[in-house]
Amino acid sequence: MNSDKNNTPAPSATAAMNELRLGAARKRLAESRGQEDAIEGLREIVANFLGSEELGLFRVDHKTDRKPTAFQVFWSFGIDLEEYDLLRGLGEAGLQRVMRGECHVELTSGERSGATAKAQAFIPIRVANETIAILAILRLLPQKIAFDGCDLELFKLLSNEAAGPLFGANFDAKPVTEGPGMGV
Amino acid sequence: MTKKILVVDDSKTALMMEREILERRTTYTCVTASDGREAVEKAEQEHPDLVLMDVVMPNMNGFEACKMMRQQASTRETPIVLVTTRGEESYMEAGFQSGCNDYITKPVDGAELVALLQSYLGE
Repeated sequence: MNSDKNNTPAPSATAAMNELRLGAARKRLAESRGQEDAIEGLREIVANFLGSEELGLFRVDHKTDRKPTAFQVFWSFGIDLEEYDLLRGLGEAGLQRVMRGECHVELTSGERSGATAKAQAFIPIRVANETIAILAILRLLPQKIAFDGCDLELFKLLSNEAAGPLFGANFDAKPVTEGPGMGV
Repeated sequence: MTKKILVVDDSKTALMMEREILERRTTYTCVTASDGREAVEKAEQEHPDLVLMDVVMPNMNGFEACKMMRQQASTRETPIVLVTTRGEESYMEAGFQSGCNDYITKPVDGAELVALLQSYLGE
């Protein structure tokens, strides 16, 4: 049995399942034991709930003198991000949105999607109204065609609740370069 | 008699979610394992009515665990549903070759999962 991930069950069933999903994501993050476990939790949430195995975290550096804002690859899974140009991927307008605290999402359900359509999402990880990191979801699994409204709610949860488990009080944490599943 | 499902996944998040779905949306009880080797042992001990199992796991993957369960008298006929991120036909075929009855792709749709399980176990 396989399915098109754009089937639409009854709204009440969808809402109930969405609540379960949000609750599980919240619990997984909140119960993380340390940064490495929080990162693994984030990877699991994206893989199991959003349908992507190509993702990464960029730390936002507000201190550099070279640019107003610089981005450092903090962690990646399934894709090498060292050569990835985040600004090019986001675009200037998308970057501004993310720095303001809005998710930048390309291709949601209802839009035209072709065989080569590439859905992406850039989710601001926020603390005290400041974007301190950007979660980039760069390609979906083939059976997941686009993001939907429930996914957008999960993005919001990650934006609001992932910073603590990921970075704790140490917002100057160094990039993760070791550990199972870390990096490519 | 309440049906028992053995849920197997190395992801704490997936286990959490699938357990929530089963406990809140069905009458089934749930036991869990976090890799294929543990799954084979638990299946022997718990005699589940169905096994819901991830494929990519450490120690022993879902395909290998499925094959082993088919070699055990107690689990030879137990319905096994594999959960996978890969929906290609060759991958599905590998699952069926290992002895699974069905598969579902990630991200798992909760309603779809419940319907699938009920097709094997009844409500």
